Amino acid sequence: MLLEAAFGVMGAGIGAGLVAIGAGLGIGQLAGKAVESMARQPEASGDIRGAMILTAAFIEGVALFGEVVCLLAVLGGK
Amino acid sequence: MLTEYIESRIKFLKPVGISLIIFLISSLFNFSSLQASSEGNQGESKKVDVAALMIHHVTDTHDWHFLDIPGGDGHYTSVAIHLPWILYNTQTGLEYYGNTEDLLSTGKYVVSHEHVIPVKGIAIPDSLQASFPAESLVHADGGHGHSDAGVFEKDGTTTVLDFSITKTVLQIMIVGLMLILVFTSVAKSYRTRTGQAPKGLQSLLEPVILFVRDDIAKPNLQGKHDKFLPYLLTLFFFIWFSNILGLTPLNSNIAGNVSVSVALAILTFLITTLNASKSYWGHIFWFPGVPLPVKFLMLPVEIVGMFTKPFALTVRLFANIAAGHLMVLALIGLIFILGEGGTNVAGGLGIAPLTIAFGLFIFCLEVLVAAVQAYVFTLLTAVFIGQAMEDHSHDHAEGAHAHH
Repeated sequence: MLLEAAFGVMGAGIGAGLVAIGAGLGIGQLAGKAVESMARQPEASGDIRGAMILTAAFIEGVALFGEVVCLLAVLGGK
Repeated sequence: MLTEYIESRIKFLKPVGISLIIFLISSLFNFSSLQASSEGNQGESKKVDVAALMIHHVTDTHDWHFLDIPGGDGHYTSVAIHLPWILYNTQTGLEYYGNTEDLLSTGKYVVSHEHVIPVKGIAIPDSLQASFPAESLVHADGGHGHSDAGVFEKDGTTTVLDFSITKTVLQIMIVGLMLILVFTSVAKSYRTRTGQAPKGLQSLLEPVILFVRDDIAKPNLQGKHDKFLPYLLTLFFFIWFSNILGLTPLNSNIAGNVSVSVALAILTFLITTLNASKSYWGHIFWFPGVPLPVKFLMLPVEIVGMFTKPFALTVRLFANIAAGHLMVLALIGLIFILGEGGTNVAGGLGIAPLTIAFGLFIFCLEVLVAAVQAYVFTLLTAVFIGQAMEDHSHDHAEGAHAHH
């Protein structure tokens, strides 16, 4: 029983790490490409920034799905 | 040159200073409740249950707890507003209690994790608990600051629905009232100052209103934006105001409560569905331009897709706001974990500068997130309504053509 709860907490910790890796990769790709395109076309900076924020919110949303699941795994193990 | 530079720096520092003050004040309140909870488990262990405190902070309660004032004898006086319990009992009808003490004094109910549960009789002593089936027992915790803790037998014959004005409900009313006051004043100044430059509150909010109209509604709603603008503006300002209020001391965060974001997403879902065009339903029930077996395959996918959109809206808003609050609380809680509830002063003081720096960073980020989430929720609502209203009839031919 204790072991099961411990596995739950461990899983949540590993999950949180994986979520951070995924979200970091996503946001990094997004921001890198956005900065590159802003450098190529500075006059389109405003539009690019808007699209970037929106997409970043999507990525963050997915990451937060993961975080909620991790939180549930920890709280459910108690 | 130098004075200009310094002035520009000061202008930049002003909002930072204000955020710092807000952050320090709110940490003060969190601090007091942390102390109180460390007082709760007296004895050899002074461990602070930071996780429980964090969860308590983001969940709904039946009293609006402000702070605890330490007394001389190690006890704390809790400063809180008790909110009324309004219950519908399936046997005795509508019931009203001024506060949790009144509710508990009837002996008919106990409170467990802010849920009211009907019980029969008095607490069951430990020795007799084994004779009851586990699922018929409830562990009462009495809610914050109350003490009816014990194990009771559930009363299975009656069901209770809780319509109480809880902290979240009261905060929704406050935000609603604020919206009414602010926007009637803005609307009035548009009437009285027709043709003149905007002034005061009006000039503060005009760019935001125009932003919602020109950047959110117009590009997505194909000329029908006037019909949906009232909803989109309400949505945007409700989420924005409530998020910003949730970051200030003495207020509660309501978008971080999943029930609130579900309600907002259901409104969006209803408006999307009720304004859907024929081709929207056509795409759901009989996907055009694909072979017959694929049509049957697409049916469940499209039906699930209808519901995943509002579900994603719900989780995105709720998780973003709740996660921000939890992050700040976890960072502050670090002081109390490493300080071991006041016994390890060096540990507490050592981590404090780091905690304040990171906490302030997250807090400033949350001010940004408050606006970004309002923007994203409103934008996606506009996108979903726009997609549902769209008439795809001429796209079908192209789609079918592309498939051949």
